[in-house]
Amino acid sequence: MDHKTSEEAALVRRVQARDEMAFREVVERYQSKVFSIIFGILRNRNDAEDIAQQVFAKVYFSIKNFDFRSSLLTWIYKITVNECYDYLRKKRVRKLVYESDFSQEDAQRMEASEPAVDASVPADTRLAQRDLILKLLSKVSEEERSLILLKEVEGHSVEELAGMTGLNENTIKVKLFRTRQKLLRAAGRLTRTR
Amino acid sequence: MHREIRDHIEDVLAGSQPCTPEHLNQCEECSTEVRGMQEQTALIRELRAPEDFAADLRPGFYARVMERIEAEGPISIWNLFIESAFGRRIAVASLALALLIGIYVVTSERAAEEATIALESQQVTTEQTFVVGEDAPAREITRVDQSQTDESSQDAVLANLVTYREQ
Repeated sequence: MDHKTSEEAALVRRVQARDEMAFREVVERYQSKVFSIIFGILRNRNDAEDIAQQVFAKVYFSIKNFDFRSSLLTWIYKITVNECYDYLRKKRVRKLVYESDFSQEDAQRMEASEPAVDASVPADTRLAQRDLILKLLSKVSEEERSLILLKEVEGHSVEELAGMTGLNENTIKVKLFRTRQKLLRAAGRLTRTR
Repeated sequence: MHREIRDHIEDVLAGSQPCTPEHLNQCEECSTEVRGMQEQTALIRELRAPEDFAADLRPGFYARVMERIEAEGPISIWNLFIESAFGRRIAVASLALALLIGIYVVTSERAAEEATIALESQQVTTEQTFVVGEDAPAREITRVDQSQTDESSQDAVLANLVTYREQ
């Protein structure tokens, strides 16, 4: 897929030229996606807006470096995931959710809105599992992290990922496989040190 | 993991492989690794946000983003040093280095001063030879006694005083 000639590319070029209407369009187009990525990773509604603002501020300041090799969504996705990990690092969150920043409303919402989650697993176990997987994902590169999240969280196929990133399908498969192996090895190391 | 599984791992994890490859039933190593990957995939999928999450976003988000952009301004090279953890570490290390150099300079100067004072208080008896020009005869100054020099200068002052009064 050619990311240089699409309608999205024209929009990006306008943002690069500091067209505020174009930037507004980018924000409105992707704000829901950015919010859901952040909330999916952090499960912290209080800080989601703050991080989302930071993501779009970064998009605004860095868009001149956007090289059209990937889709705009892939690029924004990467920035968003990095901002979430920066947040986790800054707050030195070892446990993903502390009582202090996990509201009752969030807890109820989490209980009610996750049909995919096995209800027999207690909430604290699920939180520990989320904490573990976030730790493991911090052990791989930014590119690998974004790729596996786009595959498993956003549900994109290998073919779609190839189109979004500008890489060929085999490369995507190899990168995903290596990431999965790295995650397994990191899990093994973590288990041995515990 | 063996190639026949590795080549189809995405399909196996996505559950789109029509039947589990025969190899998995025979190879313990591959089946263990696939099981581990399946467990991890299930955990990663839990990072999905609830469907209705974006529905209750507060209005005016774009305005707040623009406020933030205006407040932050363009990113300068100094921001990288001030805001990043790496920059802060460099600043702390530089301060520590400057402090160490300062301590070293102060202590070494003090030691030098003390050494000079010790030398001055000592009665210096040195033999020096000054050669003035090529044709000039060598003048030898032997055993310059500091106390004698002091006494002679005192005598000179007294002599000057007497001469002055007599005038």
